[in-house]
Amino acid sequence: MESFPIEAVPEAGLVHIACYTGVNNASALKERLQAQDKTLAIGLVESNLILDMFQLLVAATKAALDERAGKLRTNSVNAEIVYNLSPTNNIAESLRRFGISDSTTSLMAISIGGEAAAVLEEMNKTVDGTLTSFSDLEQGTDLATLRKYFKIDPKVTDKAQVLDWIIGAMAMKNVL
Amino acid sequence: MAVHQGTLIKQGAEARVYIAPFCGRKAIVKERFAKAYRHPALDKKLTSRRVTQEARCLNRCQKALIDTPTVYMVDVASSLIYMELIDGLSVREYMETDEGSTQAARTHIAEEIGRALGKMHNIDVVHGDLTTSNLLMRNNDSKSVVLIDFGLSYVSNLVEDKAVDLYVLERAFSSTHPNTEVMFEQILASYGTSCKASKQILKKLEEVRLRGRKRSMLG
Repeated sequence: MESFPIEAVPEAGLVHIACYTGVNNASALKERLQAQDKTLAIGLVESNLILDMFQLLVAATKAALDERAGKLRTNSVNAEIVYNLSPTNNIAESLRRFGISDSTTSLMAISIGGEAAAVLEEMNKTVDGTLTSFSDLEQGTDLATLRKYFKIDPKVTDKAQVLDWIIGAMAMKNVL
Repeated sequence: MAVHQGTLIKQGAEARVYIAPFCGRKAIVKERFAKAYRHPALDKKLTSRRVTQEARCLNRCQKALIDTPTVYMVDVASSLIYMELIDGLSVREYMETDEGSTQAARTHIAEEIGRALGKMHNIDVVHGDLTTSNLLMRNNDSKSVVLIDFGLSYVSNLVEDKAVDLYVLERAFSSTHPNTEVMFEQILASYGTSCKASKQILKKLEEVRLRGRKRSMLG
């Protein structure tokens, strides 16, 4: 697990991100999310749509900012992180695309605030899988799907430019 | 101060610009501040409109593959735009270096500027404040020109607006860099090949040169 500061919203504390592979209980976790189980206090993201840690950190920063302003569009800050990853304002579609599905085997768990050791314990207890590092997940990025969701111009091929395009679309979705 | 751990690098009449850490990177944070002389309700409305307008123009350019800073996050409530920090000198600074004074370098800059402006006008974005300080040279192999500061930009398909955009740059060029008429001609030549409606716009530019930036002499 890695922990990062949220520079734009320092009072929110650190954001903790852990990557898991070989996950066995994705469908049970998805059911708990859909039932809005308040005891499940971590965000769960489909890892193959995360190109770079920066993408997830920007989504978390926006969620922390909107929580402070009392302007969350979803029912929890964790769901908001998943929603922020998507370029559209359709909540159900965003959660379906960027959240976990029944067939998910590798995912990223994310949580804002709290003490690192306690958060990791909670994550390990919740997710039935093997803790790994982001660099070991990276090969699994599903670029074709990302290109489709973000309507990325075919002329954009460089990884850094693809990431820029994604971040730009995420930033603009709530700017009307 | 609204920007956490930010270092102030520029202060203008409309905004303050900081360099601040953002999600593990260094970013530019542009803060539009409240104007005490305006009614608070009006001020809030104008400021938030300008913040969204600037972000929208930047994003419109990015989607058209024009080199502009990537918008990372927009905080409308605090009037902040977080964006990519570009590593490089402004065209103004670059032209004063030994490397930037050579004929070859200047031809390259002129071509790059003309191409960038042509592409920008193709998607109907009018920059509104083109100067050599608002054009950066990206510090990489391609040395591409990056358009920055879209604080006065807007979307318009009028030939008039685009011609005035070029005229503003021409005036900025001749006042900051004497004896660069040839270079500006090169910019216009490159603009002519990349902008679809360039013929009409360049014709209009002749007209604007004779009368100045403002169309009407009334009021």
